[in-house]
Amino acid sequence: MGAHVQSVPRKLWQTLGAIKTGVILLILVVLLSAAGTVILQRPATEADEMQRAYSPQVLHLLDALKLSDVFHAWWFVLLLSLVSLSIISASIQRFPNAWRFFSRPYKSPDEAFRKGLPGHALIPIKDEETALSVAERVLQKEGFGPERIVRQNNFSLFGERNRFSEMAVYIVHASLLLIFLGGIVDALWGWRGFIMLTRGQESSQVTPQNASPRTLPFAVRCDGAGQENYADGSPKRWWSDLSVVKDGQVILRKQIVVNDPLVYHGVRFYQASYGNTGKLDSLALTATPREGQNPQEFKIGPNETHTLDADTTVRLAEFIPDFVVQDGHVYARSTELQNPAAHLVVESKKVAQSVDVWVGSGLQEDAASPYIFRGKDVQMAYFTGLEVSHEPGQWAVWAGVVLMGLGLALVFYFVHKRVWAVPVRDAHGQLKLWIGGTANKNKDAFEHQFRNVVEQIESELKVSSPAVAHAPVAALAGK
Amino acid sequence: MSRVAKIEQQPAVATGTTLVVMVGLGVAFLLFMAFLNVVKSGNLLNDSNLLYAALIFYCGAGTLYLAFGITGLPSYIRFASLATWAGLIANTGAVARRWYEAGHPPFASIYEMLLMFVWTLAVLTLIAEKKYGVKIIGTVTMPVAIVGVILMQLLRTEVRPLVPALQSTWLHVHVTLAMLAYAACALSFALAMMFLIQDKMKTETFLAATSLFTVATYVGILTRFEKWGGLSVVGWNPEDKAEIFIAKGVRLYVVIPDLGWLMVLVLAAVAAPLFLYLIWSKTHNQSLLTMANRAVFLSILLQVLALAFFALRARDGHYASLDAEGLFPTALAASPFILSGLIGTIFVSLLYLLLLWRRNDLERMLPSADELDRITYKTIAIAFPLLTLMIAAGAYWANRTWGSYWSWDPKETWAAITWLVYAGYLHMRITRGWRGRRAAYFAIGGFAVVMFTFFGVTYLLPGLHAYA
Repeated sequence: MGAHVQSVPRKLWQTLGAIKTGVILLILVVLLSAAGTVILQRPATEADEMQRAYSPQVLHLLDALKLSDVFHAWWFVLLLSLVSLSIISASIQRFPNAWRFFSRPYKSPDEAFRKGLPGHALIPIKDEETALSVAERVLQKEGFGPERIVRQNNFSLFGERNRFSEMAVYIVHASLLLIFLGGIVDALWGWRGFIMLTRGQESSQVTPQNASPRTLPFAVRCDGAGQENYADGSPKRWWSDLSVVKDGQVILRKQIVVNDPLVYHGVRFYQASYGNTGKLDSLALTATPREGQNPQEFKIGPNETHTLDADTTVRLAEFIPDFVVQDGHVYARSTELQNPAAHLVVESKKVAQSVDVWVGSGLQEDAASPYIFRGKDVQMAYFTGLEVSHEPGQWAVWAGVVLMGLGLALVFYFVHKRVWAVPVRDAHGQLKLWIGGTANKNKDAFEHQFRNVVEQIESELKVSSPAVAHAPVAALAGK
Repeated sequence: MSRVAKIEQQPAVATGTTLVVMVGLGVAFLLFMAFLNVVKSGNLLNDSNLLYAALIFYCGAGTLYLAFGITGLPSYIRFASLATWAGLIANTGAVARRWYEAGHPPFASIYEMLLMFVWTLAVLTLIAEKKYGVKIIGTVTMPVAIVGVILMQLLRTEVRPLVPALQSTWLHVHVTLAMLAYAACALSFALAMMFLIQDKMKTETFLAATSLFTVATYVGILTRFEKWGGLSVVGWNPEDKAEIFIAKGVRLYVVIPDLGWLMVLVLAAVAAPLFLYLIWSKTHNQSLLTMANRAVFLSILLQVLALAFFALRARDGHYASLDAEGLFPTALAASPFILSGLIGTIFVSLLYLLLLWRRNDLERMLPSADELDRITYKTIAIAFPLLTLMIAAGAYWANRTWGSYWSWDPKETWAAITWLVYAGYLHMRITRGWRGRRAAYFAIGGFAVVMFTFFGVTYLLPGLHAYA
């Protein structure tokens, strides 16, 4: 102890890899993340709700300890980094042993090993060669792929299955580190934000949750958006037709729906929300001349001008989706399309002054207008809300997930089984075949298989040499 | 004492056939009554009828499994698994019907997930029984299935169209994996409990554990105790079949008068065995233990009383609220936690009595401790990869829907905690060679976390997983 001086970093490294450290770290992760689900968390919960839920002192304490935003607190990130380091350290410290075991399988068991192995049997035999070839045949049939081992002018057999499963646990650990790596990359270089577009609008400005806006090297344009409903009125589908525009050219077009985003250069656009802007997209009107019977139908947008005849034009000056008249003035009551009114300005070369016309239920027509207007259809402008995210680390995460699935399958469902057969002489000098077997998991099933192998070898030996007396299979209490 | 003795003798008096015939007649009678009702309404094969049939069969199976546990007669187990099969067929019918009606696999609401959970549980029970020979397992799983079906009756049942976020194949993958994993965890819990019995854990320790569970449940219920002995429960709007809210995220509570006092009385009754146990552990006076066991029996009667009164008063009726003027309705569906707590404690206390009276028979019928230890480990070795894939599928789905594969929402966090707990179990077992007791405690604790993730997070913690 005293003679063996260890440097501090080395000691630290060993402590980090100890299973005790790992368990303590994991318990801390569990406790702190559980706290993060019980205490209201900052970005998701709005400030006034936090103030309602906690008294000022408690809130101050929670904020100071970062307990109001556990999963982004520096100490939580530190803890996860320590967990990663602990996994790395443990894997590196245990790897050489495991690799030795894996790369140099133990093929010819010595006497101490033969005595200590719980699952073994001794079968009396006449000559080594017959016994070994019988055992070889049986092991071949059971899929152990036996090989003959030569040592000091005697032969023995070694067979095994699924040796790779010994290394599978490192695949699982590596996959976990890969997932963590992806998470760290995303935490450092990833971002999330929001873009709101109406039909025909184009933008390259993303507004992140709590940072200054970010400008993309390209723009997205909304060519259309809409909602479909079930018969009961609940929403069934939201969609947006998006175009990626770069240097004035459309590079990519896609209709996105919830669950199916648009991806361009690692930036993903998700359908997040959809709603009414309260503004008009277009208004369909019929205009009937005061003298004459030829009504004409036309569509008009805000501030657009439509030519009715050679002398007359009409302009949509204002649109109110839900109007109310008070004291002779028109007011907007809400942004919902409930009681629409349109303010039209009609200009005619015959008349010097322009005429204001209000179209809407219960509003008086202006007698000075050369046309009578009727509303036919209203198209409101809807916005589509796009969640934008850039997660460069996600591929590491998915690769880690696939690797972990693979690793777990290897760890749990592939058993490393080893079988040896060695001709030996017992204390009375009688020749016997020692057969031993072991498995690294699922030992009860292996015990069954091993017993079966021994019985097969025994019965085949009896057929080939009936003189050998029957001896019971011994010592099969393998665990 | 006379009462205890009488109950104890009953199974011995009834022969195997009598009980089977009685249960069979009971099942037939209930089915016939249900059939008469259905004929009147005309709609025979809708999912609530099929579910009702499943409930009747599961009740029959549960009774027979329990009877098997008490008497050990093999004929019971034959009929019990027959009833389980019949219940499973009806349950499958309900799932298929629901699937057909909704046009998507039934995973969209907690009702549909319970439907799948019960189905998986019944399938696993039959597998455990036929393949591994763990015959007694139905004693534990069937009551859980029954509670599940009863809870389903209380929840909203109409097929609701899927909101856009839920229209994804990944959702089905995610939820299927979750149900399979959780059912495997439930099984490992039951096996770990049986291991403790076979590992010669003292019956007194089970007394302490079950009493502690019961006391904790009643203390939990009594956090709703109001002034003047009322018990406050969430208001329920029968038209919308939904809880009443006064503001966003703030539920309206109504106070059922006098029920609080009753709960206090029952708490005293269930605390008595625990109290007697604690004195016994200091003094080792055996008569205290006998008294404690008798107190358990008495407390079950009072618990049934509490359940009956709660069910009667909370089923419907209008009560005053402390938060708003006027009278508001409530319903059993508004208090799933209190209800399952009340049913759960009765069930746990009954299981204790089963152990107390028939421990020798149980030990004879169960596989050996070693084998149970191994099967528990195998079940977790199946559950853990399923949990992993479930989380991965959920992350992939979230990434396609919300643009982020991990957002630390409570359900996600708790799924990760569950994963860590079982990862801990596997590490301790593989690297430290943990076997037996400690591994069994770990498996039991792991299942408690699973239950919290499944129910607790949904009802107690806010988050994105609002639909389930």
